[in-house]
Amino acid sequence: MNAKTFAIIVAFLIVGFIVDLIRRQKMTFKYSLFWLSASALTLLFAFCDRMLSRLASLAGFELTSNFIFFLYLAFVSLLCLFLTVYINEQNSRTESLAQNLGILQFKIKELEKELERKR
Amino acid sequence: MTDSKKVLIIVPALNESRVIGRLIKEIKSHCPQGTIVVINDGSQDDTAPEAEMAGAQVVSLPYNLGIGGAVQTGFKIAAEGDYDAAVQIDGDAQHDPQYLHRVLEPVLTGKLDLCIGSRFLAEGPGFKSTFTRRLGIRFFARLLSGLTRVPLTDPTSGFRATGKKLIHEFAQYYPVDFPEPEAIQTAKRLGAAVGEVPVKMRKRLGGISSIRFLKTFYYMVKVTLAILIDTLKKRPPKEIS
Repeated sequence: MNAKTFAIIVAFLIVGFIVDLIRRQKMTFKYSLFWLSASALTLLFAFCDRMLSRLASLAGFELTSNFIFFLYLAFVSLLCLFLTVYINEQNSRTESLAQNLGILQFKIKELEKELERKR
Repeated sequence: MTDSKKVLIIVPALNESRVIGRLIKEIKSHCPQGTIVVINDGSQDDTAPEAEMAGAQVVSLPYNLGIGGAVQTGFKIAAEGDYDAAVQIDGDAQHDPQYLHRVLEPVLTGKLDLCIGSRFLAEGPGFKSTFTRRLGIRFFARLLSGLTRVPLTDPTSGFRATGKKLIHEFAQYYPVDFPEPEAIQTAKRLGAAVGEVPVKMRKRLGGISSIRFLKTFYYMVKVTLAILIDTLKKRPPKEIS
């Protein structure tokens, strides 16, 4: 099997997996869009390997494989960055929820005491 | 005149059942006009019932948020209840409630927006602490004095009073983990008047300090970075008072 066929098979598997995840509602639209475009790019490069090598030499890479590694690393780093921001957002949300839960529980307790007194 | 103002006394507490009752009674005798709210930051012991029995209001957080998250809960309550000032005093009884008035005074009279009780301005025998602790405090004092142009001696002190406008700001954003030094820079960035008054601190009666020896270095680096990052943040268009 040559590398191109292999790349195409893997690219299709990735697309299939992502579509399946979206179908089973394991991913919201916001994130599925991101992954769908990433997998579309993978498919495109798997089919048009000549375009990929032209892009590589245009960017100054002597070896196309190095260009692929570079793209992959850049993608993963960016993804990590986004996930960090996302985790941060979730963190401050849960903190805020915890604080408000504490305050609400306190208020309910106070109201219950007041009701008890009125009875 | 200052007696008619609404004051919230925020007491963040984590596993302080041994001392919290006594502390609440002390606060009540020194500052009867204040509303005491204990923020029980996920304690495993009887901190909440002990504090309630002593006559404080107790807000229990569902899990441990750390000192920053606990104190911010107090600011949220103060903002919602439209309090004129909030004073924060540690639940480990390290801060002597007899100085509550001194810390609150400048905020209630409108002289300061953030008034910090400093253990290094006090007359009499100085504060005893480990060498690394003192070194850390000195370092932050220098750094923050330089950045804020306010002479500060004890930026790590958690014995501090906050005025109305800062209460609303801190209810929105308050630093986490080791918030005291960073909060000073945040306050200054928001245009608040910051100052210190002398207080005495006692030896800790219970609990364990949240800053352990090995963590000191990590905190110093972290807090320094946090302070420097805060200086990059956007300044508000309007000045506070």
